[in-house]
Amino acid sequence: MKLATHYNRASIFITILVLMSGALIYYFAIRQITRNQLDREIAEEIAERIDYVNRNGKIPKNDFDDNLTEFVKINSKDFTTRFFDTVYYTGSGKMPENRRAAAALITVAGQNYKLIITESYSGINNLVQIITLITVVLLIVLLLILLITNKYVLTSLWLPFYNILHELKTFNVADPKDFTSKPNRVDEFNELNTAVQIMASRVKNDYLHLKQFTENASHEMMTPLAVITTKLDTLIQDENLNADQYTQINDIYSAAAKLSRLNHALLLLVKIENNLVNDEEALNLQSLIMQKLQQFKELIAAKDITVLEVLKENRIVASKTLIDILLNNLFSNAIRHNIEHGKLLITLTNEKLVFENPGAAKPLDKDILFERFQKAPGSDGVGLGLTIVKNICQLYHWDISYNHQGSLHQFEIVFNKDIETVVKK
Amino acid sequence: MKLLIIEDEKSLCDNIFNYFNEEGNICESCNSLTTAIDKLSAYKYDCILLDIGLPDGDGFGVLDYLRENNRNEAVLIISARNSLNDKILGLNTGADDYITKPFHLAELKARVVATYRRKTFNTNNKLIFNEITINLLGRTVSVNDTAIILTRKEYDMLLYFIANKGKVISKNAIAEHMWGDEMDMHDNFDFIYTHIKNLRKKLLDAQCADYIKSIYGIGYKFIAE
Repeated sequence: MKLATHYNRASIFITILVLMSGALIYYFAIRQITRNQLDREIAEEIAERIDYVNRNGKIPKNDFDDNLTEFVKINSKDFTTRFFDTVYYTGSGKMPENRRAAAALITVAGQNYKLIITESYSGINNLVQIITLITVVLLIVLLLILLITNKYVLTSLWLPFYNILHELKTFNVADPKDFTSKPNRVDEFNELNTAVQIMASRVKNDYLHLKQFTENASHEMMTPLAVITTKLDTLIQDENLNADQYTQINDIYSAAAKLSRLNHALLLLVKIENNLVNDEEALNLQSLIMQKLQQFKELIAAKDITVLEVLKENRIVASKTLIDILLNNLFSNAIRHNIEHGKLLITLTNEKLVFENPGAAKPLDKDILFERFQKAPGSDGVGLGLTIVKNICQLYHWDISYNHQGSLHQFEIVFNKDIETVVKK
Repeated sequence: MKLLIIEDEKSLCDNIFNYFNEEGNICESCNSLTTAIDKLSAYKYDCILLDIGLPDGDGFGVLDYLRENNRNEAVLIISARNSLNDKILGLNTGADDYITKPFHLAELKARVVATYRRKTFNTNNKLIFNEITINLLGRTVSVNDTAIILTRKEYDMLLYFIANKGKVISKNAIAEHMWGDEMDMHDNFDFIYTHIKNLRKKLLDAQCADYIKSIYGIGYKFIAE
């Protein structure tokens, strides 16, 4: 739920609560005040009656006002004056009406009478109605004002916050451009802005250092590797070495070559992940695959693999270097993990590219397949081939997936061409 | 061929020096940009091996010097960076080839020979080794004037062997040369065996001497007569 909604809820709830209790307090206070007023009036009326009786020595025939006055004969002498609420039926319809009444003892010519005077509450009722009306109108007006305030003031007030939030969401550590948030009149947001900017620049700095370190470390390793390789090249010129020593040298060769490939692969990954390969051009994937088939011809023939290719026209915009590497890795894997006299199915349509080949009986683990340094048992690779494939696909917003169908291992790249153009825009 | 090796890593420099220093070649080496310029201002060379990362500035300075002085030495860049930008920059500023560390000496030799040959292509487009004649322009091979048909890989391999004649070449180096850097098929040596067997057979069938000698366990040697 949005902050404005939370705020709206709370303020509306509190407004209603305060206005309601205000209305209640009003109601009771005014009721009390008017009742006291009525009581005073009634007391006055009683005094008037008593005064009349004392002067004239008889019960008045006509009523003074529109108040109802009753005289009831009683025998009891000790009767204290009391005030009470009563219901009185008036008019032809005998409508019940709430009234205030007072009873007092009055003595006319030695006879005791109970004098009851009632007065209508209708005045108070009107008052309550007016109070209710004012409260309701006030409530509605207040709620409207609150809503409008929240909608416009609150939104514009929080705008810088949403700007910062947007920048944070789109924050990319590899992106060289800095935060662009402008200062605004709210101190808290300025503070937040500054804090975020400092944090972002620190993160970027750290990242840059790490990247440079990785790159430099990888490059620095190349020279010692070159020394190892060339030393071995020199060493084998000595023809007095025996077979066992040659085997040892061969192993060193392989290890050095592997290390160098690993280094190249890691550097390539750094480049792809940082989007540093930007020699994009229009490529005809169909002809590129044909070329690769030619290039891998001997390797395919050596394992007696039957290639079944269905290649349709497919043009993409990508880096030639990266697509070359992508195809190399897919071909290498499909050949390396293939069985003797196996087959290789390559399907290219405008939407997708599929490589299928038989191989190990068990399907590969989909979850870790594309992770770094995951390799098939017995594989001599460095375990980065599929990671590189996946990263290249990610770079161009293509989906790569692995399936095991029948006895075939299947790698499928979906090109998502409409998404690609949307992203480009 | 007169060679200048500009490389600051001493042991690497020595190894290259020893590998290239044979009959018919004159090698010199230096290990900084300043000494390189000194040597270049005093002598002329046929080919220069240039490491880009030098202690007193990058090797592009050498290329600038050569260009400013209208020199036409063949230059092969040795770089620790497998970076396309460096490669393009190097080739645009006058280098003839670009090799990335680590490399095999045999590969370096083959590249140097090829680069030098390209530079002197106009005067000589035939490579003659005893009874073998290679027409570099038409990529054809003949033995004792009898043409033999080689596949592209066999042809490449023959050139590679002749460039490294008299040297033992490891299977690793051959594999890397044959399959390129990125094909990730270096563990597969069976193909080399097949290709070399075919090449040797074709040469022998044409009454060529048996130059390709297998060195058990490590690789091959093209015997120089």
